[in-house]
Amino acid sequence: MSVVQEKATAATQAPPPPAPPRPKRRRKGSTYLVGGILVLVCWAMLSPVLWTAMTVTKPTDVAFLDPPVFFYEPTLTAFVDLWQTTLFYQYLINTLIVALLSTVAALVIGLPAAYALSRFPGWISAVLLIAALVFRALPRFSVVLPMYDISRALGIYDTTFAVAAALVAINQPFSIWLLRNFFAEIPKELDEAAMIDGCSRFGILRRVMIPLMGPGILTAGIFVFLFAFQEYLTANILTDVSARTVPVFIATQLGQTLPMLQQAGAAAMLLTLPVVAFAFIAQRYLVAGLSSGSVKG
Amino acid sequence: MRRREFLALVTPSVLVMGGLLVLPLYRTLEWSLERVNYGEAGTFVGLANYGAALTDPRLGQAVLFTVGLTLAVTAALLVGGYLLAVMVNGLGRSKPWVLGILLISYVIPHVVGGAMFSWLFDANFGGVVDHLVTLVTGQEVLWFTDPWPNRVIVALNTIWFMLPFAMLVIIAGLQGVPGELLEAARIDGASAVRTHWSVIIPSIRGVLGFVAIISIMDILRTFDQLVALSPQAVQLGNESIMLYIFNVAFQDGGQQLGLGSAVNVLLILLIVLMLFPFIRGIAKEARQA
Repeated sequence: MSVVQEKATAATQAPPPPAPPRPKRRRKGSTYLVGGILVLVCWAMLSPVLWTAMTVTKPTDVAFLDPPVFFYEPTLTAFVDLWQTTLFYQYLINTLIVALLSTVAALVIGLPAAYALSRFPGWISAVLLIAALVFRALPRFSVVLPMYDISRALGIYDTTFAVAAALVAINQPFSIWLLRNFFAEIPKELDEAAMIDGCSRFGILRRVMIPLMGPGILTAGIFVFLFAFQEYLTANILTDVSARTVPVFIATQLGQTLPMLQQAGAAAMLLTLPVVAFAFIAQRYLVAGLSSGSVKG
Repeated sequence: MRRREFLALVTPSVLVMGGLLVLPLYRTLEWSLERVNYGEAGTFVGLANYGAALTDPRLGQAVLFTVGLTLAVTAALLVGGYLLAVMVNGLGRSKPWVLGILLISYVIPHVVGGAMFSWLFDANFGGVVDHLVTLVTGQEVLWFTDPWPNRVIVALNTIWFMLPFAMLVIIAGLQGVPGELLEAARIDGASAVRTHWSVIIPSIRGVLGFVAIISIMDILRTFDQLVALSPQAVQLGNESIMLYIFNVAFQDGGQQLGLGSAVNVLLILLIVLMLFPFIRGIAKEARQA
C-alpha cells in the first residue's frame, strides 16, 4: 500500500496545474475518435439520471407508457405532490442534520488523531492504522445490527443523533486515513520550528497545521458529508419514521403505485441535483481525495 | 512527539471507535455463538450457528452470486477504468468538465442510483433501454424475474457507480509514470498498444492492485443496489451475502440473529485475510515514518 500511496500522492497532491501543455499534437483522427467515445461514455453514464428527470417531469398518464414517449409537455406535478402528500421536507432535513452533525464530529475527532498518527512512528501507530483499515472494510451489518439493539436499549433508536453517531464511527477510519495522508505531506521541520518558537503540540495543530491543511480538511469533509448523505443501510436499520432519511424514503416508495413511484423519482431528482452541483464544484477535492489512495467509500 | 501528547491526540478517536465499532463487533462475536432475539439475552449454542451457516445452500448460492459479481465487476473496472483513464488523462481544457460529469454516478446514493437504473429497464414504467433492447433483438427480456438478465443489470449498475473511482485512481497512477520511460519506448519504436502493455501497465501495477483490492472489498459488501434492482433476489438466487445477513437477521422476523452474526464473523475473517499484504506494508511503514 505504501507504494501506491506514495505514487498516488506524489502524482496528485498539488492539484493538477491548469491543463499541462500537450507535448505534441496527436493526429486529428484519433483525437476525434477519443472525443467521440468519451461523449458516448459520458452520455451512457448520465442516462439513468436523464431518464429519471424526464419521467418525473412528464404528466403521470404518459410517464409510464410503453413504448416510451420522448416529447411531452413538462410539468412539476410530481414535485408538488411529493411536497404536499409526504413528509419529504422532514426527511430532507433529517438527511442534512445527520450529514452535517457526523461531518463536523468526524473532523473534530479525526484531525488530532490523524496528526498524531502522521508524526509518531512506532507500533501503536501501526496498530491503530491497521485497525482503521480493517474497520473501513468491515461488513456494515456486523456493527449496525448490534447498534440497533443498543440504540433500542438506550432509547435513542430512530433519532438523527443515533444515526449521526453511527456514521461518525463508521466514517472515522476513512477520514483518519485521508487526513493522515494529507498531514504526511507537510514537512516535520515546520513542527520543529514552531516548537522552538514555544508552541505546544496542540498549539502547532491549531496555529500551524489547521491553516495549512485547509484543502485537506475540505476534501475529508466533502467525503464524509457525501458518505453520510448517501448512506442507506445504516439509516434504514437505525431509523423508523421520525429520523428517516431521503435514501430510505425513496427505497420504501419503490414497488408502490405509479404516482408514488413518480414522487420517488422526484425525490431522487431533488436529492441528486444538489449533490451533482456539489460534485462539479468540489470536483478538484474529490479527485485529490480519491487519488490520495489508501481509502475510499 | 512525546507519547503523552500522542495519546492525548488520539484518545477521542480511539474512544469513538472503541465504543461504536469494537463494542458492537464484540456483540456480533457473542451473538454468533448464541441463539438470540433482539433485546433478549441469548442462550449459548457453541459453534452451531457456524455449522448452520456453512451448510445452508441459500448462503452457498449467495456466496456464489457475490463472488461471481465481484470477479466480473472488478475485471470490468480494471479494463474500463484503465481505458477511460487513458482517454481522460489526454484531455486538455475539457478535462474538469468530463471529470465532473463522470463523477455524478459516484456521488448519487447507491440505492437511488439503483432505482434510477431499474426505471431504465422496467417495461411497466416505459423503460427506454428495455424498449431499445426489444426493438433490436426482437425479444422481451425479463430484467427483474429472469436470473441472468437481472444479474446483468446488477453488474452494470455496480460498474456504473464504481467506474469513476477506478478511473480517478488510475489517472493518478498514470500521472506518476516518468516521462523519460515513455520517451524511451517511443524512441525504441514501440507501438501505442505495446507501450501501454509493456511500459505503462507494469509501472502502475501497484495502483491497479489497489483498485482491485478496494473494488473486491466493496463489491463483497453489495447490498444497497439490490434493494432497488432485484426485489426478487431470494427467488432468483441473486441474493448477496450482505442481503442474506439482512434477511436472516433482520427481515424474516429477526429470529436468526445468531446465524447472521456467524456469517458476519466469517466475512470479517475473509476480509482480514485479503487485507493481509496491505497490513504487512502498513506495519513496516508506520514503524519507520
